[in-house]
Order: sequence, then C-alpha cells, then structure tokens
Amino acid sequence: MPPDPAPPPTPLLTMSRITKTFPGVRALDGVDLEVRPAEVHCLLGQNGAGKSTLIKVLAGAHHPDSGRITWAGETVTLKSPTAAMRLGIATIYQELDLVEGLSVAENVHLGHEPTTAGFLVRRRTARTTTAALLTRLGHPEIDPNRLVGTLSAAQQQIVSMARALSHDVRLIVMDEPSAALDPDEVDNLFRTVASLTADGVAVVYISHRLEEIRRIGDRVTVLKDGRAVAVGLPARSTPTRDIVALMTGRDVAYAFPDRPAPQDRPGTPALHVQGLCRTGEFEPLDLTVHPGEIVGLAGLVGSGRSEILETIYGARKPTAGQVAVDGRQLRAGSVRAAVRAGIGLAPEERKAQALLMLESVTRNVSVSTLSRFSRAGWLDRRAERIAAQQATREISLRPDNPDAHVRTLSGGNQQKAVLARWLLRGCKVLLLDEPTRGVDVGARAELYAVVRRLADEGLAVLLVSSEVPEVLGLADRVLVLREGRLVHTSPARELDEHRVLDLVMEGSPAP
Amino acid sequence: MTPPDLTKAAPAQVAAKETASKGSSRLDVRNLSLLGVLAVLIAVGGITKPEQFLDTGNLQLVLTQASVIGVVTVGMTFVITSGGIDLSVGAIVALASVWATTVATQEYGFAGILFTAVLVGTACGLVNGVLIAYGRLVPFIATLAMLAAARGLALQITEGRTQMVTVNSVLDLGLPDAYVLGIPPLVLVFAAVTVVGRLLLNRTTFGRRTVAVGGNAEAARLAGIDVRRQRLYLYLLSGLCCGIAAFLLIVLSGSGQNTNGNLYELDAIAAAIIGGTLLTGGRGTIVGSVLGVLVFTTITNIFALNNLQSDVQQIAKGAIIVAAVLVQRRTAHDGT
Amino acid sequence: MPKTPDSARSDTAARPGSTRRGLLFGGAAVSATALLAACTSNEPTKKDKTPATDNRPAADSAPGKKVTIGFAGPQADHGWLNAINENARNRAKKYADVTLDITEGSNDTAAQIGQIQTLINKKVDVLVILPTDGKALTQTGLAAMKAGIPVINLDRAFASPQASRCYVGGDNYGMGLNAGRYIGEKLKGKAGAKVVELAGIDSLELTRLRTQGFDDALKNYPNITKVARQAAEFTVESGQAKMAQLLQAQPQFDALWNHDDDQGVGALRAIAQAGRKDFLMVGGAGAKSAMDAIKADNSVLKATVLYPPTMSASAIDLARALGQGKGIGGIAELEIPASLTLYSAVVTRENVDDYLPTGFN
Repeated sequence: MPPDPAPPPTPLLTMSRITKTFPGVRALDGVDLEVRPAEVHCLLGQNGAGKSTLIKVLAGAHHPDSGRITWAGETVTLKSPTAAMRLGIATIYQELDLVEGLSVAENVHLGHEPTTAGFLVRRRTARTTTAALLTRLGHPEIDPNRLVGTLSAAQQQIVSMARALSHDVRLIVMDEPSAALDPDEVDNLFRTVASLTADGVAVVYISHRLEEIRRIGDRVTVLKDGRAVAVGLPARSTPTRDIVALMTGRDVAYAFPDRPAPQDRPGTPALHVQGLCRTGEFEPLDLTVHPGEIVGLAGLVGSGRSEILETIYGARKPTAGQVAVDGRQLRAGSVRAAVRAGIGLAPEERKAQALLMLESVTRNVSVSTLSRFSRAGWLDRRAERIAAQQATREISLRPDNPDAHVRTLSGGNQQKAVLARWLLRGCKVLLLDEPTRGVDVGARAELYAVVRRLADEGLAVLLVSSEVPEVLGLADRVLVLREGRLVHTSPARELDEHRVLDLVMEGSPAP
Repeated sequence: MTPPDLTKAAPAQVAAKETASKGSSRLDVRNLSLLGVLAVLIAVGGITKPEQFLDTGNLQLVLTQASVIGVVTVGMTFVITSGGIDLSVGAIVALASVWATTVATQEYGFAGILFTAVLVGTACGLVNGVLIAYGRLVPFIATLAMLAAARGLALQITEGRTQMVTVNSVLDLGLPDAYVLGIPPLVLVFAAVTVVGRLLLNRTTFGRRTVAVGGNAEAARLAGIDVRRQRLYLYLLSGLCCGIAAFLLIVLSGSGQNTNGNLYELDAIAAAIIGGTLLTGGRGTIVGSVLGVLVFTTITNIFALNNLQSDVQQIAKGAIIVAAVLVQRRTAHDGT
Repeated sequence: MPKTPDSARSDTAARPGSTRRGLLFGGAAVSATALLAACTSNEPTKKDKTPATDNRPAADSAPGKKVTIGFAGPQADHGWLNAINENARNRAKKYADVTLDITEGSNDTAAQIGQIQTLINKKVDVLVILPTDGKALTQTGLAAMKAGIPVINLDRAFASPQASRCYVGGDNYGMGLNAGRYIGEKLKGKAGAKVVELAGIDSLELTRLRTQGFDDALKNYPNITKVARQAAEFTVESGQAKMAQLLQAQPQFDALWNHDDDQGVGALRAIAQAGRKDFLMVGGAGAKSAMDAIKADNSVLKATVLYPPTMSASAIDLARALGQGKGIGGIAELEIPASLTLYSAVVTRENVDDYLPTGFN
C-alpha cells in the first residue's frame, strides 16, 4: 500500500502536550507526536531528551501526568502494557525482553499461547503460526524450535518483531534496533521495516544514526529537553545540518579535534604486541602504539576487534604471543599484570563491564587506585575524593560533583568516569572499545577532544569502533581487520570511508 | 576545549545533585527507619510489660542474646555485600562449638577452647572460600555442602551428646561477676566486632573492594581487582565470625552441642536484608544489620515477656519482617 | 536442604517418641529427619559406655531355644537413641541363646524399609522396630507379620495394631502428669504458688501431651497457678535463651517444669547466670547429667521424670520370650501383652541411685 500523496491521511496516533515528571526531573514537558498509518516515523534526540520516557508512555509502562492520547480518532488512556498491546501498539526495546531458555515459538506466543480447552498448549499451531510470521518478516531460516538464547542479536530482534506481529499490531515502536547489528544485518532490518509498512503497520523508529533515518524514515520528530522541537519534518529532505542543530544547537562538522602533524615516533613503543593470537578469534597480530599516538582498529562485528583489546588487557588468555608495555613483557592472561604495567581499558559494555552503578563518581573513579589512598588498608577518603574530583574536572565530567551517583549520569559522562579512572591511575596505554556507544552526538565531540588531549599529553591510545568515520576522524593510524586478520595498515589521512569499507568487506559474502 | 554540552544537562544535573546529596545520607535514612521500628517495639514492650521490659537486666539480656547471632550477621553482611551467600554459618558455629568443647580440647583450658573455636570457624570459611573463589562453585552450593558436612562432622564428634564445659574460666565469663561496668563480656565482643566490621566495610580498601565485587564483579575484575582473592577473604571472614560466635555460644550455654546454631543462616540473612544490605550485592551496612538483629531479638524478648506462645510468635515475626521491609523501602524510595 | 539444621533438631525432638496417640506428628518429624540422613554419616556408637540397663535377671533367664532378633532403629544421633541401641545390645549379650542382628540406624524411611526387608529375608525369629516414622513403616510391619515374624513395635507406634504383635513405649502424657503431681505435692499448702513451664518444640504432639498432662495434674492443686510457658527446641542453646527470657519475665515463681533434660542444661545455665535459686525445677527424660545434679543437690534441679531408654532392653526380653514361645513371669497371663506403656517415674534425690545406671549422656 503505497502512501497516498494527495490529502494527508488521518493520523493513527496523536499524542498532544504530554508531560511526565519524575522526582527532580521533568522528563516530558508537553511533547507532541503524530504518527500516520503505514509510515516510518523517526524519533530523534540526545540521551535524556525524553525519547525513552515517551515510548514508555506509549507502551503503557509510564502514565503521563497530563496530555491527551488519541488512537484512531478516539481518546484513550494506556493504563498498562497489556492495554497498549490490546490497542495494537507493540514496543521492541533495546534490551530485548525475550526468555532465552524458551524456543522461538514459545517466545512469540508468550502470554497468549494457542490452547485447547484453555490450558493445553497447541504446540504445532504455535510453530506453524510462528514460521508464517518469520517468513513474513523475511526470515524463514529461523527455526521456531530453536532456543532463543542460541540466536544472534539480529535474529532475536526478528523474534521480538514476530512476537509483536503475533498480536494484531498497528504500530510498532523500535528503540535503537540497529545498535547491536552489523551493516548487512541492518539492511535486513530495513527490508523488514519496509514490509511492515507495506502491510499498513506504522513504525516509530528511534536511532542515533542519521543516515539510517535518511534511508527508511518518512517523517522525523526531534526531541530536546523533554519538548518536541520539530514535529513531522520530512525525513529525507531535511538537511543533516538542520537536524543536528535542532538536536544539539551545534554543527557536527567540528566533531573531531585537529590531528597533530604526522611525525616519526622513535624510541620504545608504549604498547608492543607481538604475535598475539587466540585460536578461533584472531590470527597472530603485531602492533605498536607510541606515546601520543592514537591507533584505530576498524572492522565489522566479529572481526575480532574487542577480543584483541581484551586479550591485550589480559582479560582473555592468548593462545600465543606477547604484550609489552614500555618494553617490559607482561604475564599473559592477567588483568592485574596489565593494570600494574599501566594499561587501562574502557570496555564496550560500560554498564556491565566497567561501572559500579550503585556507587558515586568518586568510588567509580578510584576503584583501580585504592591502594594509593590507603595506609595499611585504611582509606583516606578525603584524599580519594579530592583526587577523583581532580581527575574528573580534567576531562570536564558533568555534573562537577564527585558524590553524584554514576547511574544518574548521561552515557557520555559515564564514559568520562571510566576514562577518569585510568587518568587517575596514571596509565600509559588506554584501550578504548566502542567509546561512544550510547553517547549522544553532542557529547561525542567532547569525548573525542578528551581522547585527543590525553594522547597529546603522552598517552598511547588503541581505539576500536564499529563506526568507520570515528576511527578515521580520531586515529592517527588505522589498522583494518577482517575476520580476525589484519588486512591493512596506514595513516588515517590516507584513507576514506569507502576505502575502509571496501577493505572490511572484501571477500565477505555479498549481503 | 569546547564547553561541555549542557543542552540537556540542566534538569538532569539538578536531579543528580539532589540524589547525590541524599545519596551520602541514604544509609542513615535506612537505619533511621529501622531505628523507628525499634522505637515502636520498645514502646510496645514498655507499655505491655513496663517493669520487666524497661529494666537494666532486660537490656543486658537482650544484648547478650543478640551477641551470638549478631557476630555471625556481621560476617554474613560482608558476604552478601559481595554478592555471595553463606548458608553454612549455623553449621560452622555448631562444628566449632563442639570441636572446642571436646574433652581433649578442654584440657588446654580457656585458650584451647577459644583458639579451637576460632580456628575451626576460620578453617571452614577457608574451605568455603577456596571452593567458591578457585573451585568456581556457586556460593549457594558450596556453602550448602559445607552446611551438610559441618553438621555431619559435629554430630560425629558429639554422637548427639551434649558436651559440658568444665573449664571454670570459660563458664565464669558468662556469669554476672564478669560484667564490665554492667556490660556482659559477650556484649563487649559483639560491640567490638560491630565497630571493626563497620570500619572495615566503610573505611578500608578491603571494604571498598567488597562493595565493588558485589556491585559488578566483572567491572571489578577489569578494574584490576583480584576478585577471586577478595572472595576467598570474604568467606574466610565469615568463618572467623562464626568461630567467634561459637566461642560466645560456648560461654553463654556452658556447653557445646551439634544442634547449636540452628537456622542461624536464615536469621543472619534476614537481619542483614531488613538492615538494608542488598541481597544482590553492591550495598551493605553493618549498622543496619546490627539493628536488624536487635529488632529480632527485641521482638523475641517482648513476646517471651508477654508469654505469647510460639505459634503466635512465628506469625507475628513474619508480619513484622514484611512490615519492616515495607517501611524501609518506602523510606528509601522517598530518599531517592 | 537448608532445612537440615531444623531436622537435626526435630530429630532430637522426636527422640522420646510418640505414644499410640502420637502418630500425628510422625510424618513431619520424620520427613525432616529423612533429610538429615543424606547429610550425615552413620557414626559408630561409642563402645566404652557402661551398660545402662540394670542387671536384674529377665523373667526367664534359663537358656532355651536359640532366637535371632532383628533390630532396626533410627540413626543414633542423640543421647537417648544411643542409649536405646546400647540397652538393646547389652541386654541381648546377657542371653546365651539370643543373637542380635542390629541394622545400622537410618533416618531415611526408605532405607529403613530396605533394612527391615533384609531382616525378613534373613528369616530372623523376631523383629524389634523403632520406626523413623511409625506411619510410613506400617506396611513393612504388616509384611513381616504376614511372613510369620512377630514384630515388637518400639516407641513410635505403627498406624495399625495388625502391624505388630506387641507395642512398647513411653508415656508423654504421664511425664507431664507426674511432673505436675510432684510439684503439686512440693508446693502443697503454699498459697498463691506460681509455676513456669519450659516446653519442647511446640509443633510436636509429644510436647502437647506433656503440657496437657502437666496442666491436668495442676488442676488438683488450686493453690498453684501456671503463670508462664515458653517453648524451646530441645537444644541447649534454645533452653538457655528461652529460660533467660522466662526468668526476666517472672521475677518470682516457685517451680519450673522443663520438658527435656538436654535443653535443661541451657536452662540451668540461664538460671545460674541470673543468679536465681528461689524455685525448684523438675526435668524430663532422664539424662545422666540431670541425675548427677539431682544427686549432688547443689542446684535448683530436684527431680526429673523418666522417659526410659531401657524400653529397648525390655523389648529384647519380650522378643526372646516370643521367639521361645514363652510368656513373661509375674503376671497371670499366658501370653505376652499386646501393649506395654512404661511408667514415667519421678527420679529424686531419694531414689536417684536406683536410676543412675539408666541415665544417658
């Protein structure tokens, strides 16, 4: 059903003047949103702009303080997720809410299993309908009998969508569905979205990635500080510059800090990796990072990028090879040895791998340096707090309050807390794994500047990112990985995005 | 460097500051609510049985009865804060108490009994710790195994018989003549363990690492903390506390018995949880745990003084646990 | 499994067993004890203990036909059960014509059924069974009887009288009754006398029976009021804790009835700690430590009411008589009675020497 250009169709959903206040925060401050049938409506905004709150209101998980929701011409109240589901609104959250120990079919029908006599689950029916839904989504290869835990992230997302479609759904909300996907998987996702809209289903699509919005979006609503600063902009024709300006009030062109002129770097490298490998993950690898240098690792998910960083850090035991810091070899497979030698890691999964979410900024920053503030195990808490504050000030962590709880910080500031940890420790080599994941556009620029400045002060930085422009913009030297193998090394200024993508994809089966 | 992006910061920042300022006093809020519960209990006791309840002797009694389980709870609080659990505490107390009261041990007098109790407790904790930290057993399973084994060994040692203490210096420690300025020695030990525990958890690297391991073990490991060694120490500490508690129990009851320490694990876990320690780890409070113990002991005391029978006692105890947790959660909720 | 410590306790609790009326609690107590069996090893019984049985000759000690007696009891994880085993063993040794086939005690119902089955297959002449759970072993008793092997049911009664030839057990109600009578007589003439009761585990039938007997006895003494009752858990620790509270609650009273000598150790400790001497205490079960204290007469403990472990020795006597087709002397009956409920004697300073050999550790 191609969209009819002539009169604007009646909106499927209208949310007007929605407000929602949490203790101390006005999360939504009179937001408007209008979604038409069969359109892809993109919702843009930085972290904390109110996107999550808005979609939770839409999912019936939060109750707005005021405002009106109209669904297919009728005013409704979304009392609960079930009520929203009954109307035909399904939400696919970033953290998929699937039960890993159940099969695909069981997940799809969870809570509304087809039954005989009210309690006997008709498993065959469940399997058939699931298979039909998966085919409709363009993924007939997923076996309804498989355990969801054994599926890839992309496949799990498909299952989530199938679950939404198993209800009579008219609007699907997708919260950053591409965040965990590889490029070819993203293409699949887009095809699925297109087939949904072709069936008349409306999609509310949330993403940080502007280029995705260009590709599949029809209209865009931009949120900032709990308000809708632009409603229903055409997704394809609005200039990027305008959208970024709406989101941040700043121009994206300045995002990357200036790169120092290329220079010879004699002397011992800060980090020297020789023949490091892990069977099944990556092949023997040599690399050096000198003080003051930022080296970027580019590659697809599954190319072994994160594994390499974690092996250098000692969190994984290498099959063979050595890691040396300032010429001194490290004991293999020991995080403590790496930390003691002066390596710091800002891991990919910040919340799961780096942060103590219940604790204050100070305690998150000082956790690797405790012994410095203690005598015979006794902590000097004042010295600790002062030092932590110093470290966080140095990289402009906001708020400037060492007692703030780290969970109240934005993604970018949480990342800064991790960086401050290693800054305080005084490390020589910093390993950054997807440093800007979940960090909004404005804050990214700031993080880039911090990383560059740390390098200028003599730190050796090894950067991994799935966003090619980030690697190209920030690194001095780029190593391109494909399927666990180093395929190319050159200065960043000699590469462009297409070239890197070519290198990355070369030999990969066509999507 | 460009000024930080403050576009969205205004409300969030205010909120963060509010949380932070309350965050530092959160534990106090939690403790306050428990103090409230305790105050209500004291009022109930004072109204129903003014003469017997509001009496120095009764205060001594309540504190003495709280001492044994209280020391165990301090150790348990550390373990729970680190995200673990120790189901073997009661069994370790039993084993340490009977090992320390065998005829052979008693020949070495006061020191022999004290040393054996503490050593056996610590050794059991060491076994737990090694199994969990290096054997990679789930704490629930490892300590459950220790529970069974220690109870069995205690039974084997005693053959079900009560072992009477004949060392007078040990026995005398439980009698009124040994009170220091009106404070029973058991209570002094309990107080000392509490103070040391509180300082250890809040003011030392050991405590900080415990919280870090409980809050996010993977993050702690990647931050360079030796998580396994920390776990080992934590179960060792819990075992040590059980050993001390076993000695207190020997002094209190004048005997060692394989049935000692019955269901201590549940009492200690309950006290720690209503005290405000997170069962999932990452947050713990010694003062809260001790208040939790005192709440339970006071309840028991009031019930006994009012001659309520065990059926009523159990029903009321269950209701009070739920009420205390609800009150506490409401208070905690207002605090954030 | 976290219930295990509990089971250790209820096991102790179940120790004095149930009378025929005591079937109700059996299931709960034994399901708990069954748990314990998985966790504890079977420890050997202590060999150096003095025989607890008296040396009076049995009804007919003249050697007769050879008799093999199978004996199956619970795990001896408590002094009283230890004493049961030893009494049986020592009694059997006295008879040249008796062979005792004693199983390794178990608290697991299934294991005990298996052990008894083995004894049946071995074709022993008589079976003595102290069930972990009387109800659960009823079918096994029936099977033995059908196989022609007379069964003597010790202490914890089967659900059906058909499952045994003869029942021998203690009397919990009688314990309370005799404790009450003893206290009543001691406080006779004292106006406004107060007594306090330290009971055992409240969820057990036997505890209720002991309390019931005690209350019934006190009805005969209008000058006495029971002012407080708290339930301990048959353990030293709980005895100390509950007694300490009782002493605080009751600044003055005249007598204390404590259901169990083991928890009495803790109770005595609490009494010493409180420095109280103003009342008399009556214990229960008949532990040696209690009898020693009664004999020494240096504490408030003046008497204890028996729940005699010698019942297993009597069971051996009866089993031997059954096996040889004899009656027992001293009564007019030709046949052995179908039921024998033992008397809960009160042991005081005057008669303690008679009973001291039966006291258990």
